[in-house]
Amino acid sequence: MRIRKRYLFYVLAFASTIIAAGVSSIDATINSLFIPNAWAFSFSCFLIGTGITFIILLIFSIPINKTKSLGAKIIDPSFNKIRFIRKSEIKYHTIAGLGNSILTIGYISLISILGDPAAVLPFTQIVILYLIIIESIIEKDTPTLIEIQSAIIVTFGAILGSISLTGDINLISLAIVFLIVNPAWVIFSIYQRKLKLLKIDDKPNDSLNIRFWNVIFACIFTSIIIITYDFLIGTEYLLEGISVSIKYFNWVALTMVVTFFSYVFYIRALGIGKASVTQAVRATVVIFVIPFSLLLSYFNIIPPFTTDPVMILIKIIGTILVLLGISTFALSLLKAYVFINVKPGYPIKETMDKLWNIHGVTRVTVIAGKYDFMIKIRIRTLMKGYEKIIKKIEEIESIKEYKWFSVLREWEEI
Amino acid sequence: MINAYILLSMKPGKSDTAILKMRKIENVEKISIVAGDYDIVVRVHVKSLEKLLIVTDKLQMIEGVRKTTTQVIEKEIAL
Repeated sequence: MRIRKRYLFYVLAFASTIIAAGVSSIDATINSLFIPNAWAFSFSCFLIGTGITFIILLIFSIPINKTKSLGAKIIDPSFNKIRFIRKSEIKYHTIAGLGNSILTIGYISLISILGDPAAVLPFTQIVILYLIIIESIIEKDTPTLIEIQSAIIVTFGAILGSISLTGDINLISLAIVFLIVNPAWVIFSIYQRKLKLLKIDDKPNDSLNIRFWNVIFACIFTSIIIITYDFLIGTEYLLEGISVSIKYFNWVALTMVVTFFSYVFYIRALGIGKASVTQAVRATVVIFVIPFSLLLSYFNIIPPFTTDPVMILIKIIGTILVLLGISTFALSLLKAYVFINVKPGYPIKETMDKLWNIHGVTRVTVIAGKYDFMIKIRIRTLMKGYEKIIKKIEEIESIKEYKWFSVLREWEEI
Repeated sequence: MINAYILLSMKPGKSDTAILKMRKIENVEKISIVAGDYDIVVRVHVKSLEKLLIVTDKLQMIEGVRKTTTQVIEKEIAL
């Protein structure tokens, strides 16, 4: 079946989102019925996940013709076969693996405390708040009004949307969200994207091998964290993790297979479309998870939903706020092209690097013709365009003149 | 493969219909309406210079296009 790339992006992003909602429900079921210990469950996920992912990659490595493997045909055209990690990837995989490990332990602890996946998932959207804070600190960049508004809307929306079935707000769960899950998610997503942007043998890095090596690194870090915890507290969660991995292999394997496809589709979508749009689509998970939660509630796996209309209204308002905040943040970007002429006697590479280091520049192109360089810019306000881009361009000695073209509307074949 | 930016100057009032036609041209990756010396920036991705000529030719044949300036990409870094 052939599908246009534009539609493929939305198919992948929404498929990933719906699957993610399903995964949360499976996790909630396993946690509620079989493995209540979050530490043991987290370790079991990565232990079984490593094996499951390895088997899936072996299957996808089967060649279907002289040039393509099964995985390249149906999942990711960049995939060739399962491969060893490259030296250039180790640093990124180490950080992304640590992020995924902490994120998973925190996320399963939340599932364990709150029970309802519809209460857990809105919390993960608060990541936007952290991205803005990190940008403000690292880039010495003052957030714009729209960024602050979006972050506040999403944060309060997530808190309202996460009010539990019984109407309780759990302080421990809030601490886990703000101090563990979202910071870890930021690290995980930033380094996962860095891995996707790496070139392996002059080809784009493939999402299948990224996922495989991420699970391995996350498994190693989870083991280290749990061994340390066991040693300090005197628990035996690592042994419990091994024990539940054997006892409930089928359930954990199911959640890891489904998670695998959710992540692979997500990484693929990131490679096709814009990260901001992908993130906006992913935010709809807060809606998709509601039917799953109702189903779990119907089968008495989680406590029944409150029938108090005020609580239901609060939850609806929270969910809408999360969607509004994420969409505003993702879609309120200004774009511009700047065409540049340089003075003779300055190395092209040096000017290219200086332009690339300007915050907000998403593309630097050396061109032959009337101009020497074209840079593409993404900013939130025109004022920032002046403060952050124009001032920096003017500081580069080799630049003779430049012309700014604000993008008013754009069509892209993605 | 060759990538290029084609900068277009347009006659007033013809942009909407011209863009509809541009979107149907093969190898056109991106079309941006811009404010500045030019009116439209088109990014194309072609196999050869010969194909680039065909795309440029198709663009300048569209009613409303006054002038095209082609900038061939030599090197690129992108997010």
